[in-house]
Amino acid sequence: MDLAQNLISGVAVGCIYALAALGFVLIYKSSRVINFANGQLIAIGAFLAYALAVWVGLPVLLAMLLAMLLTAGLGFLVERFFLRRLVGQPIISVIMVTIGLASVLDGLMYLTPFGSGNFTFPQFLPPGGLNLGGVSISYPQLLAIGFTVVFLLIFGWFFQRSILGIAMRAVADDQMASMSLGVSVEKVFALAWAVAGLAAASAGIVVGAVSGLNQDGLIAIGLAVFPAVILGGLDSVPGAVVGGIVIGILQSLSTAYLDGLLAQVGLVGGGSQYAVPFVVLLIMLWFKPHGLFGTEEIERV
Amino acid sequence: MKRAMTLALAVTIGLLGLVLAQGRTVTLLWSGAITGPTSDVGGPYAAGIEDYCRYANEQRLIPNVTLNCIVRDDQYQNPNTQRILEEALDRSKPAIYLGYSTGAMLQLKPLIQEVKLPTIPASAHIGLIDPPNNQYFFLPVSSYSEQVVALMEYINRSEKNARIALVVNPSPFGRAVVDHARRAAQRLGQTIVDVREVGGGNLDNTALLRALDAAGAQYIIHQNVAGPVANILKDAKRLGLDRKIKQMGAVYTGGSDLIRLAGDAAEGYLWASSYYTLDENTPGIALQRQLATRYNRSADILNSTNYTAGMLAAAIAIEAMKRAAQRFSGRIDNDTVYQSIIGMNGPNAFKPGFAVSTKAGIEIDFTRSEQTGAEGLRVLEVRGGKFVPITDPFTSALFRQVRNP
Repeated sequence: MDLAQNLISGVAVGCIYALAALGFVLIYKSSRVINFANGQLIAIGAFLAYALAVWVGLPVLLAMLLAMLLTAGLGFLVERFFLRRLVGQPIISVIMVTIGLASVLDGLMYLTPFGSGNFTFPQFLPPGGLNLGGVSISYPQLLAIGFTVVFLLIFGWFFQRSILGIAMRAVADDQMASMSLGVSVEKVFALAWAVAGLAAASAGIVVGAVSGLNQDGLIAIGLAVFPAVILGGLDSVPGAVVGGIVIGILQSLSTAYLDGLLAQVGLVGGGSQYAVPFVVLLIMLWFKPHGLFGTEEIERV
Repeated sequence: MKRAMTLALAVTIGLLGLVLAQGRTVTLLWSGAITGPTSDVGGPYAAGIEDYCRYANEQRLIPNVTLNCIVRDDQYQNPNTQRILEEALDRSKPAIYLGYSTGAMLQLKPLIQEVKLPTIPASAHIGLIDPPNNQYFFLPVSSYSEQVVALMEYINRSEKNARIALVVNPSPFGRAVVDHARRAAQRLGQTIVDVREVGGGNLDNTALLRALDAAGAQYIIHQNVAGPVANILKDAKRLGLDRKIKQMGAVYTGGSDLIRLAGDAAEGYLWASSYYTLDENTPGIALQRQLATRYNRSADILNSTNYTAGMLAAAIAIEAMKRAAQRFSGRIDNDTVYQSIIGMNGPNAFKPGFAVSTKAGIEIDFTRSEQTGAEGLRVLEVRGGKFVPITDPFTSALFRQVRNP
């Protein structure tokens, strides 16, 4: 029973990582840019939801929906004002811009009341959780799983079936070729950033519901998903979900079983959950350098 | 021409009069995490210092002296803390330094010893007042280690041979208590069944709690900040382990933040704290209420124990400056402030009414070798959404034994 509980808990946490990883993957998938400001988008989405619910007084669910749309708008604006000028420039320049953007967004948030302290959403889920045959899961965790399933289905359909999704994949594959075929690279990038903002806000909202809102805690989630996206493959939406869940399960199992074993050999303190994902990642990258579901690129000379 | 000269003379005399009326300026420096990690503690702490300084200047608590209170945000980054301190030492020569984080304070011990700067940190890590380089450090309240040992003594009152797990922050701040807790457990006949490190971002604690339950833990003692503890309390309630494992923690785990974050799950949580709560009628708490209103502080700040803690640190510092001015013919510098702090004992003990007093009625006292201010603490319990004291103030006799075995 303990194993089942630990697996379920791992899946629930993994789904939160997956949500946070989706925005990351979407941007990389369309533009080959690693977005280091992902954590900041997560935090902004969550704080917008809080502000709309508590300060404006909107119903919590409406506030969350609006926050997701507003964060999508922010993603769109970021692309429009900061990244559009860099189309066709070396990727490293674009990555540096996202690092700078992270700093700027951090600084701006510090200027708001959210820069310091802890906040909690008004209660919108019942307290406690579901207990299924001795296996317990909290309602915010169920929300995370629900969000992940919905996003996975929507994005799966979007990239496989919709013209816009196929255009995004084409742009990711070859920007110049896509442009010559009439695909608007700018529009694709803007859409990718907007959808990434949407996914980031949903991750922030779930994290806020699980553990309260704290700027550093929310931003840290954005960075904690690195192992998940690399494990799953940087350009794979299902990979982000699988990677997130694998990391969540690894963390849960290492806390449950490995920490105890480490204590027996004198390494007290536990905390193996912080290291194990990276160890597994290193080992896996020896065998699959592009991640579990990442596109293997073959360059011909 | 004559008229211009008269005017210039009048302005000069006026300015001189103004300067004389204001007296000298003496600097007090604080740097800590107003933003960044642990800013939930640092923000209200900084507000407490700012407000008390402002009040001290308005009330002219030190005659003929204007306090220049420098409050800087180091974002919990040790290099920032060091830069801010070095910059202040060069430019404004602070008479006293109110520090913050454990890591930065431990790192700056040699420098503080070298420049002989009296320092009152927010961190209550016992290593700050342990040799070497400890001479100029003064903890406003009992150390984290003493708080944890006191909780273990409290457990021992009702349950012998208890099985206890420690859950601590993965940092020097968290680890500070582990050795003392082990030694105390040995003397009390208790068993430390496990020590786990848990930081922020602990989205699920099921595995942790089940493992501690499997290890037979009856009590969990936390040395952390409120966020991670709140998550563990919520998960324990969901898993039904709140009825099986009693949870408690040292000073920065509790307060209004914990209740806000954990909600109902905080009920029954035990907290070791030297500070009075906002529901109590003491001169310090009355002043806290008055200043929060006067300076338009939010309810969150007013309700925060860290606001009280910041005020207490500032009150000790300013009282030491005031006594230095009285005792050393107006001279307020590192040496005279140090002498005033170590003279703050016996009939000269300080009683601002922010922290509980020991049986002897002493609230804050220091000597050259006893560098802890408020040695009394109480155990409080969350009842009906509030922390209420469930013990009288006491000092941990056992801690003195395990500190220097």
